[in-house]
Amino acid sequence: MTWQKALVVIFLFYFLALLQGSFFAQFSLFGAVPSLVFILFFLSVFFGKKDNYLIIFLAFIAGIFLDLFSPYTYLGVSIALLLLVGFLLKKTQAMLKNRGDNNPFIYFAPLFLVYLVFYEIFLKVVLRYLDPSRSLIVFDSLFAIGIVYNLILATIGFWIFKKYGKGI
Amino acid sequence: MNEAKKFSIKHKNKNWLKFLIGAIVFLFLFFVLNIFVSPIRNGFYTISSPIQKIFWSAGESSSLFLSSLSSGGSLAKENENLKIENQKLLSQLAFLQSIEQSNQAQSDVSVSCQNSGFKLVMAGVIGLDSEDILSINKGSADGIAEGMPVINQQNVLFGKISKVYKNFSKVMLISNKNSVINVKTQHVPESASATSSEIDGVVKGEGGLNAYLDLVPISDNIDLQDVLVTSAIEKSFPKDLLVGKIIQKNKNDQKPFQQAEISLFFNVKSSDNLFVIANFKR
Repeated sequence: MTWQKALVVIFLFYFLALLQGSFFAQFSLFGAVPSLVFILFFLSVFFGKKDNYLIIFLAFIAGIFLDLFSPYTYLGVSIALLLLVGFLLKKTQAMLKNRGDNNPFIYFAPLFLVYLVFYEIFLKVVLRYLDPSRSLIVFDSLFAIGIVYNLILATIGFWIFKKYGKGI
Repeated sequence: MNEAKKFSIKHKNKNWLKFLIGAIVFLFLFFVLNIFVSPIRNGFYTISSPIQKIFWSAGESSSLFLSSLSSGGSLAKENENLKIENQKLLSQLAFLQSIEQSNQAQSDVSVSCQNSGFKLVMAGVIGLDSEDILSINKGSADGIAEGMPVINQQNVLFGKISKVYKNFSKVMLISNKNSVINVKTQHVPESASATSSEIDGVVKGEGGLNAYLDLVPISDNIDLQDVLVTSAIEKSFPKDLLVGKIIQKNKNDQKPFQQAEISLFFNVKSSDNLFVIANFKR
């Protein structure tokens, strides 16, 4: 990745983090706010090459912006979880049967759901461990709505990446 | 064969070494980042705050535009104005009921202290996250401290300051899952001769900008549209701040307490500016 591309990626994550916390907060669906930064991270890893350094770079940038704009005190929690998601996703993709199209939607949708749920659950568990006063209600209607809302936006992102994201 | 085995073990060891070095670097980074978390966040928010404010306002007008399209022309705006007017009237009602129920002279003194004695700091809203925590553009440099109540100009309670940085703060809304506040219901009497009654309960946040009323004794009679205001026993907030109104009762005679769904009065989406009560002490 050239430094120009790296700068664009950093700017893009920053821009989405700002949008997520301000503009899109006004378009919450029954209280659920979209996680644009996670969606972009997932799409970038899903469509990106199997390059460990690329995953580390993406996880660090996406994670730091998620942590900076988050209500919790600690920095680095999202970075660690995104690193885990990134490496596991690449491992899962490598295990899946190769088709003519290496990145079909039939792989994308379930993987996105599984890793988003994994991320959300582990984030809550880690934060609860770091701050025992936090509530640990993971599965409620808000959680389900949030997952569906994010899946819809990720699907839009998937087709955009599919069409214009070659060589990213 | 032996060579291949040796190569495989060497390769595995190398991977473990890489993982170990990576983990140590990450732990070091985690440690360093969290030592300087306050200045990092403050600097970051100071840079981002003007852009966030623009996005927040853009989102507000877009959301209003979309809702006005769906609800037909100026209905949304009119509705918004009516809500504000209604909140003002409810605030006045809470004020009047408070006077009526206690000694007139004593009440006059306490209410006037409450209305004029507060030092309010105006702050702009710059963001909202999924855990019902607002970001505002005032911080410790403006006299804000943790635990201070946050209201709007109609005395509607939003929440309290949960985290303070130098130039910005986080506000935990009363709809946050960790929020529990003592409230009392103010039953609006249908006729002037009827007496109004007060029932105590607690409002618990449930996330997604929603909350519910709980711990109301089963024998007490609450009604739809009853207004909830902060109670005098509440330690974090001044009394008689508007919280919400009852929209559905959940009464089960086998349980010692009844619950109710409530509609909170605060509207985050149309709140550009809020007020922090900087000198409230219990």
